[in-house]
Amino acid sequence: MTADQILAEIREANLSYLMLAQSLIRVDREQALYRLGVSEDTARLIGALTPAQMMKIAATNTLLCRFRMDDDIVWGLLANHGKAAANESVNRLHASILMAGRHQEAA
Amino acid sequence: MARNKSILTEARQIERAVTLIQLGARLQVLESETDLSYERLLRLYKEVAGKSPSKGQLPFSTDWFMTWQPNIHASLFLNIHEYLNKVSELDEIDVVIKAYQLYLEQTQSQALEPLLSVTRAWRLVKFVDNGMLTLTKCSCCGGHFVTHPYEIAKHYVCGMCNPPARAGKGKLAGGLQIPSAAGRVPAAAPAHAH
Repeated sequence: MTADQILAEIREANLSYLMLAQSLIRVDREQALYRLGVSEDTARLIGALTPAQMMKIAATNTLLCRFRMDDDIVWGLLANHGKAAANESVNRLHASILMAGRHQEAA
Repeated sequence: MARNKSILTEARQIERAVTLIQLGARLQVLESETDLSYERLLRLYKEVAGKSPSKGQLPFSTDWFMTWQPNIHASLFLNIHEYLNKVSELDEIDVVIKAYQLYLEQTQSQALEPLLSVTRAWRLVKFVDNGMLTLTKCSCCGGHFVTHPYEIAKHYVCGMCNPPARAGKGKLAGGLQIPSAAGRVPAAAPAHAH
C-alpha cells in the first residue's frame, strides 16, 4: 500500500462510518448511542453534520472510530481463544453482556 | 386516574401501545403503561395482532430469571436497558421498548430463540425497581448479571464463567448448547482417550 492508497482508504472508511452513524442517529437516537458507543454530545455533533463537513472531517490521516473491545476477556470470548468453536453462541452472548455493561465510556 | 385529554399525548400512547403489541406484549402491560381505556386497548390489540389477547395471570416468579439460560437472556436485556438508561432521558416504558428491540436483534443475529418475552422483560425491570432482583458483578469476568438482591457479591460467579452441570445440554432448537467435549474438565475430553 502506498501512502496515497492508505490515505484514500482511511478517508473512505471515515466517510462510511460518519454516514452510517448519522443515519443511525436519525433513525433512533437512543439506540444509536448504544450501537455506536458514543456520548450524547458526540451524537448531536454527528447528527448535525452536513455532507460537505463530513467530507472535510473524513479527509485525514487517522481513523475516526476506535476499537471497542480492547481487553483480554471480551477479545478472548469473541475470538474463541482456547475454547471449542461450538461454544461460540454462549461466548458471543457473554461478550455482548460484558460490552453492554460498559456505559462509562459513553456517558 | 384522570384520563388524558390531549390528542397528541393520546396519539403517542397509541403508537407506544401498537409497538408493544407488535413485540408481543400482554394486555396487562398496555393497561399499566398507557392511560387508554381497557375497551380501546382490546380493540387496538385485535386490530394490530389479528387475534384476541391471551388471558390469565402474568408470570410473577423471580425464580425463572435464575435458571441458566433465561438468566443469560435476562442479563443481556438488563445490561442494554441500563446502558440506555444511563445515556438517555426517556420515559421508563420507552427504554424497555428500545432495549427489547436491541435484545431481539442480538438474538436474531445469533439465530437464538428470544427466550425473554417483552412482558417478562417489562416485569424484570419492575422487579429491579422494587428491589426484588438486582444486577451483581461477576467476580470472574466482571460482567453484570441478574441475581437475587442478597447475593454475596464478593463470591458471585456468573453462569457463563461457571456453567452448572446440566447447562447447555438441551436439544431444543435455538437454545444455547455447550458440547461436553468443550467443558471445563480437560480430562473428560475425548482427545485424551487414546
